[in-house]
Parts: sequence; C-alpha cells; structure tokens
Amino acid sequence: MVLLAGLLMGQTPASSKAAPNPTPKAAPKQSTQVNANAAVISDFVKRVNEYVAVHKKLEDTLPKLSKDSTPKEIDTHERALLKLMQEARKGAKQGDVLTLRMQRFIRNLLRPIFTGKSGEQIKAEILDKEYKGNAPLAVNARYPDEVPISTVPPQVLQSLPKLTEDIEYRFIQNSLILFDPHAHMIVDFMERAFN
Amino acid sequence: MSHRRVLPGILGCAIVAAVCCAGSEPARTVAVAVPIPATARQPAGQVALPNKAESLHFAVIGDNGNGDKPQYEVGRHMLDWYNRFPFPLVLMMGDNIYGSDRPQDYDAKFRLPYKGLLDKGVKFYASLGNHDSREQRNYEYFNMNGKLYYSFKAPKEDVRFFALESTYMDPDQLKWLESELKGARENWKIIYFHHPLYSSARTHGSQLKLREVLEPLFIQYGVSLVLNGHDHAYERIKPQNGIQYFVVGSSGQLRRGDLRKPSPLTAFGNDTEQIFMLMEVDGDTLTFNAINLKGAVVDSGMIARRK
Repeated sequence: MVLLAGLLMGQTPASSKAAPNPTPKAAPKQSTQVNANAAVISDFVKRVNEYVAVHKKLEDTLPKLSKDSTPKEIDTHERALLKLMQEARKGAKQGDVLTLRMQRFIRNLLRPIFTGKSGEQIKAEILDKEYKGNAPLAVNARYPDEVPISTVPPQVLQSLPKLTEDIEYRFIQNSLILFDPHAHMIVDFMERAFN
Repeated sequence: MSHRRVLPGILGCAIVAAVCCAGSEPARTVAVAVPIPATARQPAGQVALPNKAESLHFAVIGDNGNGDKPQYEVGRHMLDWYNRFPFPLVLMMGDNIYGSDRPQDYDAKFRLPYKGLLDKGVKFYASLGNHDSREQRNYEYFNMNGKLYYSFKAPKEDVRFFALESTYMDPDQLKWLESELKGARENWKIIYFHHPLYSSARTHGSQLKLREVLEPLFIQYGVSLVLNGHDHAYERIKPQNGIQYFVVGSSGQLRRGDLRKPSPLTAFGNDTEQIFMLMEVDGDTLTFNAINLKGAVVDSGMIARRK
C-alpha cells in the first residue's frame, strides 16, 4: 500500500540542522538523532497506514459516491462512514496516531517555520479571524460544522510527512489535527503545534 | 488594463480605450469597438459587454452560500441578466455552503437561490473554500467530477479554466498545476480559487505564502486572469506582473467597510453591497461587468490576453 510516499526519512528537525558547523566529533550524535527521527516517522507512517486500511475497508462496504451525487447521498455516505469508523475505533484515544514522540518531532519541525521571518504571516493564514470560538477537540468526533476548515500553508505541508487524500493535516486554533475528509472526522490531534 | 474611458458612441458602438499597464511589461493601448445592446442600459462611463453570440459568456460568484436574502437577490439578478446575456457557466470562488451542509442546506444555500439558472441548464463549476466540506466535490451541480482541483476547456473560445483548492496547496497539487499549465494549449488561462493572492481587506488580506508558490507559475505559463473570494468584498486589483486579479467574495456574504482605503492594490473596490460578475471572452479581449444588488453595473472594463 503506497500511503506515505516522499517521507522525511532521515531528515532531522530544522533546529538540529541549524547546528553551526558540527565538528567530526559531533557526527555520531547527529547520526543517532537522524536514526531516531527516522524511527519516529516510520512509526507514524505505520499508524497512519493502519488507519487508512481500516478506512478503505469500511468505505468499500458503502455504496460508492459518484461524481454526480445528490446531497442526500453525500450526507448519508459521510455519516455512515463516520459511524463505522467510530465503531471500529471505539477505544481510540488522543496520541494513538500522533504519538507523543511524533508530536515532539512535529513541533521541532514546525518551530523554525513559525518562528522564522514569515512565521507571523503563516500563523495568520492558519488562524481564521472569522472563527472566534473554542470548539472542544475529541478523537473520533465529527469535525464541528461551525468551525471553518483551516488553511494549511504550502510551506507547512512541504515540511510535514506526506499523506494521501484519505487523511489531511488541518489546524483548529493552534492544535494540529489529522482529519478524515470522507468521514468528516477528527482522527487524532496535538495541542500547541505552535505558540 | 485598468485605465480606460468610453468615448461617445458612434452608430450604437462605444470606442473603448483600454490602457494596459501590465506590471513590468510595456504598457500598450487597445482600441476596440464595442456594440452596446439596447437592453443593457448601462450608465455612461461603463463598458458594455459585447454580447456576441459566438463569444464565451460566463458569470462569477464567491462566498455566496449562506442562504440569506441577499444571496437570493443576487440569484434573481443573475437570472435577469441571463435573459439578456445568456451565460452557460458560472464559476464559484468557494464558501459554497456555509455552516451545516445537510441535504436541506444544499437546497437553501445553493439550489433554490439559483433555481432559475439551473432550470435553464446553466452549469456551475465550484472551487472549495474554508467553509466547505471536502465531499462537495461529488455534488452533482458543482461539476467537480469528484476532484478537489481540476481544469476544463470552455465550451467556446480558446479558454481553459483551472479550479484550485487553496486551503490545502500540497506538493501534489502544485505539481499537477504546473503540469496542467505547461500542457494547456489554450490562449486564455483563467485560474480561480478561494484565497486571494492580493486583497486590500482587513479581515484576511493578501495570502502571501500562497502567492510565493503560485504566482511564479502564473507568470511563467501565461495566466491572464485570476479570480478569488474569501474576503467579503469586491476588489479589482491593479494588474500585478501582467496578471489581472479580482476578489469576488461578496455574492452572499458582505463585510461592510472591510477594504482598506486607500490601498495601493485597489483599482476599484466595493464593500457596501453584494456583487456578482459577468465576463465575456471575445478573441484576445475579455470584457467584465461587476453587478450589484440592484442589478446595476458598478465596475467594468476590458482585459487584453497575456501573450
């Protein structure tokens, strides 16, 4: 199953890369860091793949949406898939896909983007001024209708491990969520993706 | 583009001088005779749509899907104009269905406001905004063919439209866009999506990070026109690097007083009333009218295709 091609395998967080002129002595440490990051990403890929496999299996049990679907067909499909996913992931909890190690990795990855010279612009494009609410986040919940879907700037998407169309990165305020657009569901989330 | 005047009509025609200030390109002047249809009744100083049978007509709406009274009013005026200026297609800048999107919302926020047009066979081509469910891509009346981003050839004239998904401009979409633009043989390349690369509105304004990745492609591959929404106002941007940009984000929603005034970007702005647009491509020229809730033209002009 080709799900997460183009990963950042072996890529270190930008903060590590920014270390000035590492001496030869520092090399083993950096190499260890690279391997550790690769392991974290690999584990994340595995978890996403597992989620997508369940998603595909369950979606295949539903009537396929055509490109000329009616609103009723779209709504029925979306809510039926949501229900199936919720049942299949009954015990799912925050951190199952975005593990604490992956959360740390993502924060390190995104920090230079959000603290760089364009950081404030990027945050402004993510944080929608139209939405002032504070929707509670919950794994397996339907994405709240009243919350606009955030923009994820290309510079952020280029940094994060690539996902397939079955699952997307989104933000609600400064929380990064994994969003299933077919089921309109929050798969997992991490708080304080940026300050 | 952007500076023009209509000279006194001669035998039912107006001579329109459009001075094209195309960014770093040398300015050029285009003079064309524009027949004024008797039914158009446009005020003096406005550029009438040529309304030729063989040219491409289309409409543009954005941020329309709230189901409120002004959206229905806009729909009524679109139908009224359709009867004088038949357009086979409508481009949608996103935020097609605000808030809840149950089946009844598709009716109240889309099908009913534009029922008259749908009944006449007008096709709507949607792009998605930040208030839209991703699954709208499968909706029968949005003609997205199940895709989040797509392109299609216009039924008339040498035009290709490209609808992008600007909330999620991932490397795959950028790669697709470059490949589509590179392969497009049409003279006119018209791109539309939700988030504006240029906007003088206070609420959102110009999406600079998106501009960084998209504008170089638009310049490289000869895009002439870019249409956006997101900010709830109408704004004709002064041409940037030879490309004409419009924000058409007030065909339902409206954020009064949101445009910064003055703004170095604005060629014309309106944040006081709902607006939709009509456009006509005739050879190398595109004529546009922006129309308000009274059905009156508030902005108009002509654009020369980038060559």
